[in-house]
Amino acid sequence: MKIKLAVALASAVLVATTALAHHSTVMFDEEQEVTVSGVVKEFQYTNPHSWLLVDVTNEDGSVTTWGFEAEGPSTLMRAGIRRSDFSPGTELTITGHPMKDGRPGAAWLHATRGDGTEFDPRSGFAIR
Amino acid sequence: MTKLYRPCLSLGAVLILAGAAMPFEHAVAQRQAPPPPSPEKQAMIDLGIEHETARGLYDYFRSEAGGDGTLAWEDVPDWSGVWTRETFVFFWDGDQGTMDTLPTAKLTPEYERRLLEKLDRIAQDIEYDPLSAGNPAGMPRWISEPFLKDFAVTPQQTWLINEMMNEIRRVYTDGRDHPPPEDAYPLWLGDSIGFWDEDRLVIHTNQMREGQYQRIQPEYTDQVETVEIWQKTADDTIEVDIWVYDPPVLVEPWYTRQVFKKLTNDENALRIRYWHFNENQNNAVIETGDGSSDFADFTFTDQDDN
Repeated sequence: MKIKLAVALASAVLVATTALAHHSTVMFDEEQEVTVSGVVKEFQYTNPHSWLLVDVTNEDGSVTTWGFEAEGPSTLMRAGIRRSDFSPGTELTITGHPMKDGRPGAAWLHATRGDGTEFDPRSGFAIR
Repeated sequence: MTKLYRPCLSLGAVLILAGAAMPFEHAVAQRQAPPPPSPEKQAMIDLGIEHETARGLYDYFRSEAGGDGTLAWEDVPDWSGVWTRETFVFFWDGDQGTMDTLPTAKLTPEYERRLLEKLDRIAQDIEYDPLSAGNPAGMPRWISEPFLKDFAVTPQQTWLINEMMNEIRRVYTDGRDHPPPEDAYPLWLGDSIGFWDEDRLVIHTNQMREGQYQRIQPEYTDQVETVEIWQKTADDTIEVDIWVYDPPVLVEPWYTRQVFKKLTNDENALRIRYWHFNENQNNAVIETGDGSSDFADFTFTDQDDN
């Protein structure tokens, strides 16, 4: 799977994007977005944050594992995101605010699974 | 007890969206005064001002209440379900309004300076939250944490449970008092005693540790004390009137109304689980040399990366 890396200025940044649990968001660039396509390596469904690890194949054939941070299991559950939604091997395209230091990590904003299903972890804070 | 202390205030879930379209660091760089309180809220503020200490206010409520302050099993209110706070997490007071207004607390000059300095640092992307080290939120910050809560009421004790860091506040309603001052020491969640006035639980909490109300909110000292009145006002709503006393920080008690909403949980999928802070190395956050935050080494990269 080819890497699709697109960095663009983010518009309309919702403050409550991620990292409410235990740490500042200063390590992420909230004015940038990165989008990659790949396959799920592991969904670490943990507190205080979950991490979706995605293997992305680069143009030279090498593979980079990206980590996308979201809130913990209960908030993801409120967003309708279950652990079984991203089993290893699942194809997806995922977008986040990238790390400022260039490491392959990001604050997860949204994702579209290979079957077209869309996921918005930020919606987990909505009251309903 | 007089019902004076339950006017209708205007809080709104819309505050969750406060600050939209504005990056966090830039938003907090703006400094506007908060909106003035409504007449109803001012009456609650004045009630706090009329009593020099939190214990004085608590004793006033006790003297005004009918009955003996106890709760019979047949009168235990139904506070079951999974709950969360309604107000945008970074605001202690929902009436703060937007990200470019200051908190509604009336601060002493020293703690106003400290707040403004903290906001300056955040505006420069310099921020570190002690929670990053795995510390509990503690009271009073416990109130404002945004995750799941549930509540267990018995005649002798009420347990107020926060998913985050498994923080359980035990409110003793069996008539006991606080430990004597000579035996008191700072506690993450403080020591809480309470009594029942019909369906209202009145709580006095002392013996808390220093901390911050939230990241863009003021600090509090280990002299902080609170008085809370909890009441279920609708099937899906619990309202909490809270007065915070902290003389080094606050020139007058900081009154707010906190609202908890019951979440829809038809499939019973939402359950509070044990929260082990260090179960995932990728969540390890370190304080940098300039007082800011960064991730430690990730597990998904090939080498030591930090």
